[in-house]
Amino acid sequence: MRLELGKINITDIRFAKESKIEQGVLYIDPDYLKPVVLEDEKIRDVVFDIAKPGESVRITPVKDVIEPRVKVEGRGGVFPGWTSKVDTVGSGRTLALKGMAVVTAGKIVGFQEGIIDMTGTGAKYTPFSKTLNLCMVCEPVEGLKQHDYEAAVRKAGFRVAAKIGELARGLEADEICVYETCGIREGIEKYPDLPRVAYVSMLQTQGLLHDTYVYGVDAKQIIPTILSPTEIMDGAVVSGNCVSACDKNPTYIHQNNPVVEDLFAQHGKTLNFVCQIITNENVYLADKERSSNMTAKLCRMLDLDGVVVTQEGFGNPDTDLIMNCKKIEAEGVKTVIVTDEYAGRDGKSQSLADADAAADAVVTGGNANEVVVLPKLDKVIGTLDYVNRIAGASEDTLRPDGTLEVELQVITGATNEMGFGTLSAR
Amino acid sequence: MVKELERAGLPVVHVCTVTPISLTVVANTIVPAIAIPHPLGNPALDKTEEKALRRKLVMKALSALQTEVDGQKVFED
Repeated sequence: MRLELGKINITDIRFAKESKIEQGVLYIDPDYLKPVVLEDEKIRDVVFDIAKPGESVRITPVKDVIEPRVKVEGRGGVFPGWTSKVDTVGSGRTLALKGMAVVTAGKIVGFQEGIIDMTGTGAKYTPFSKTLNLCMVCEPVEGLKQHDYEAAVRKAGFRVAAKIGELARGLEADEICVYETCGIREGIEKYPDLPRVAYVSMLQTQGLLHDTYVYGVDAKQIIPTILSPTEIMDGAVVSGNCVSACDKNPTYIHQNNPVVEDLFAQHGKTLNFVCQIITNENVYLADKERSSNMTAKLCRMLDLDGVVVTQEGFGNPDTDLIMNCKKIEAEGVKTVIVTDEYAGRDGKSQSLADADAAADAVVTGGNANEVVVLPKLDKVIGTLDYVNRIAGASEDTLRPDGTLEVELQVITGATNEMGFGTLSAR
Repeated sequence: MVKELERAGLPVVHVCTVTPISLTVVANTIVPAIAIPHPLGNPALDKTEEKALRRKLVMKALSALQTEVDGQKVFED
């Protein structure tokens, strides 16, 4: 499958009377986007705001971060199953608005969502302090249940990102990157001497608003399958989870998966990047066993030499990670696992809930329990009402001087297990 | 907790969903539970069915507690 990804660099976002992209500036009329949000009768109102890198702005509670894209050639459209039908995506040409993101914010559960700071200590840890963020804070209709509200905000985010993406249709890309994988036979013939490597992407699927969706399907219900890694660039996999925010993958990170990016960079040079395998992290033991068995079987049937496995979340998914690792290794396929750590505030506790000798190549995204103090910032998009209850905070988080003492856990993307952040260890 | 109670000489049964972790931390008497968000019940069942399920699980745990084990044992159905 071959995908051309055209990048349109966005250098500023401004509210204006007319929505357009001109010389790298995104002009947005809120009235262009509002009907797109309010077409869902579960949402009563929405307020848009703009947060720019370096500004004294805190966005919280953050649900999802999404990169606007539009499909201009090839099958299907972006976010299949949501804003498009379910045609197989990942080929043709897609345009992406680089340097910006749509951020869905506001209280859904409250303690389940994250924090993005645009300046100060927190900004160093979240990748989304470097993007121009168009934030949307939705208000539900009265009496709406949390899970219905979550679904409404999640889907509204994709609709807004797709609507903004449409503004790029017809524009010249600043840069075009080409991503192409081979068929099984073609790959073996073309790169007979290169190791066959795949990427095993574990998706958060614990339920109770800890979910991920594939072509519109709740990934709890999938049996592990293979994707062309270009499919995720068109939004085939989207996020429906954000607690604890540091190690969950917002949709933006699926679209810009750094493992996929790096494996493509080596494709045809040091390795043959065969495919992406997606699997889940369910809460029943039988599901964990079945999914890891299937994943290991796919690795064997694809005659792989090695895989990179990334986890999403922590705790019981550590068992899914270790099951995947040891079962894939048992098939004679080498593994590298990418995770993060909950090693206690002093870093001295056991990092993962499970372990095995087969896990002898491990990359960490950092210790989520590490404590940081975030400065008081001038403006809040969303509300500070939940900062003492957000996962990774405590009743003493909001201090009298307005600063916040928190674990990295609260910061969206801080210890990302696809390596999207900057933390690691040697 | 399981290890410390056992060390103090009390018989212990570990009722848990993710039995592989229980095996990793070297619990000896292990009874599989339902699911991580609801180890001792199942909200998908109606009240009568759920009560039966819960009673069965407790009885199984009590029976495991009275069973001598030689090393680690998971009490499957």
